Amino acid sequence: MALSNRIQNGLRLTPLDEWMPESGDGLLLDVADEPEARFIRAPVIAIRFPAFTDGRGLSLAVLLRTRFGFEGELRAIGEVHPDIIHYMRRCGFDNFQLAEGKCLPPAGSKTDSILAPYSDYYQASVLQPEPASRRIRRVA
Amino acid sequence: MYTYDTFDRQFVRERVSHYRSQTERYLAGELTEDEFLQLRLRNGLYVQRLAPMLRVAVPYGTLSSAQLRKLAHIARHFDRGYGHLSTRQNMQFNWPLLAEVPDILEALAEVDMHAIQTSGSCIRNVTTDQFAGVAGDEWVDPRPYCELIRQWSTSHPEFDWLPRKFKIAITGSRDDRAATAVHDIGLKVFRNDTGSIAFDVLVGGGLGRTPVVGQVIRRNLAAEHLLTYLEAIMRVYNRFGRRDNKYKARIKILVRAMTADGFREIVDEEWSHLEGGSSTLGADDLARMEAHFARPDYPRLETESTELDTRRLSHPQFSRWVEQNVAPHREAGYAIVTLSTKITGVPPGDVSDSQMEAVADWADEYGFGEIRISHEQNFVLPDVSRARLFELWQQAEANQLATANVGLISDIICCPGGDYCSLANAKSIPVAEAIQQQLKDLDYQHDIGPLDLNISGCMNACGHHHVGHIGILGVDKKGSEYYQISLGGHAGGGNSAATLGQIVGPSCARADVPSVIKKILDTFVDNRVVDETFLGCFQRIGIEPFKERIYGTV
Repeated sequence: MALSNRIQNGLRLTPLDEWMPESGDGLLLDVADEPEARFIRAPVIAIRFPAFTDGRGLSLAVLLRTRFGFEGELRAIGEVHPDIIHYMRRCGFDNFQLAEGKCLPPAGSKTDSILAPYSDYYQASVLQPEPASRRIRRVA
Repeated sequence: MYTYDTFDRQFVRERVSHYRSQTERYLAGELTEDEFLQLRLRNGLYVQRLAPMLRVAVPYGTLSSAQLRKLAHIARHFDRGYGHLSTRQNMQFNWPLLAEVPDILEALAEVDMHAIQTSGSCIRNVTTDQFAGVAGDEWVDPRPYCELIRQWSTSHPEFDWLPRKFKIAITGSRDDRAATAVHDIGLKVFRNDTGSIAFDVLVGGGLGRTPVVGQVIRRNLAAEHLLTYLEAIMRVYNRFGRRDNKYKARIKILVRAMTADGFREIVDEEWSHLEGGSSTLGADDLARMEAHFARPDYPRLETESTELDTRRLSHPQFSRWVEQNVAPHREAGYAIVTLSTKITGVPPGDVSDSQMEAVADWADEYGFGEIRISHEQNFVLPDVSRARLFELWQQAEANQLATANVGLISDIICCPGGDYCSLANAKSIPVAEAIQQQLKDLDYQHDIGPLDLNISGCMNACGHHHVGHIGILGVDKKGSEYYQISLGGHAGGGNSAATLGQIVGPSCARADVPSVIKKILDTFVDNRVVDETFLGCFQRIGIEPFKERIYGTV
């Protein structure tokens, strides 16, 4: 997973009202922005979470990945807390800029499981397009 | 009932370790109060006035005897010897220690139980008819769909951080015992003209500060599309529901702002992309889930028991209990028994550890080891042989679970109120008790007939006061507890659509509530015509005669 790759790779992030598809800039979205087909030309899309409890960015990510076929880097920024990352990953985020003061547990530590607390999930997601019932034989 | 497989067990075990590590990080100061609040809420833990409260999920109100025994064990070892049946068919514990909650969850996991998503702004436990699968008037057993929704909504990547809590209820019967019209999503499952299973989908119902009856946005949705259609609704709500004001964040406010037609259009547009997608239910998915709820092999019984008739003649109290607390079963010779927790002096819905164990024993002895919890906060035994009702009644009587008041005025729905809840404006339990005290005479209650009296300690309406035939709402008036009374509410079902009660007039002090109730009942008795129910009479004569009796003619 791209968690180690905590951005700052010099790419400019431009808010939607100033962004031009041909600019080569990354696109910075607010969770309330409406997704559009032209966004997929951005090398990076960052979605800014105003609060870690605000789930709009999760739906926006799913739409970008599944409806518009965005395959570039999808970065969560703003109020990104470690405990929400397992949801974000399943919605298609692959890069995370943690909120100020937040840090990830060291790899291999006991609390490392915060990032992936479950070995599998019931429902389909961006990461796993088939629900569990279709992938594994469910036996008692 | 649904039995866990290795996948379910693994998920619940991992949930326990996950929550344990969150608790440890909180106690070690690594998580802030606000962060932990949100994480613990998604696992059913509130911090109340006096102690934390843990809400254990009882999926669609169904328990096995082994599960109920475990709840009794938890009540005894981690709490003060009792639990509380909630109005959403769950069980709440009022006195656990925050640091011990992971141990409680571990005990629950041993019997395939958990507290996942029993609070917080996420999809909550799906509720249904407490008589599902056995009701005489059932079209389709709703439980397989409840379980499919439970699995789909558990730790959903996209829908665990909604604008506000989200409640789904399903009914499959003519008589809507699940109050589907007052839920964020209400589903009615039936067999359509071609014999296929289909759903009518209501959205935007709910009680709380702004009570609204839900509206149908889709009729005759084929069963295979259930989850993708729900996904479309949830996505529209998650994206567009208000987040700036928690009192305006429920889906009903969004539906009202967009109008039901406008909302339907947006949902349908969203669904056009999801229809046929990977969450579509295949015939094998449906069949596998239905098999979990296959009917037990009912031994054939005599249709009518002469023994039962004889006992009814010799024991009028038993006879009354049969009349009031026993419902028709789809199989000849069987009955559905409601064990009332509404005995004067005990808060509605509270049950002791020993009562839980007794009920678990009866479920094994008289049925197939299954128990239900009703949203009216009673226990239900779904499969009792009619010939053994007398035996069961004697034991229930000895355990204070045989009050013959199901559906009568003393079968009060009541939230925990100001005695426990930090949201409450006023107490509700003592009001319920004062009313029960005043109406102790069961003959009088039977004469009054079917009457739903619901009490909430604040406008969050956990006690469903808006849909009580008589509703009582605790309000705060300059620091004192007052009670606003409404009349004519109805949760839907029977032949009537769900209706919200009308406020009768200015609120009254707690001490005056019983006398106001008495005036309401007197007005009914004076005005009713033969066989008229309270609700029927109210619908005929309107609120004015009640107002006049309570407040005098102006």
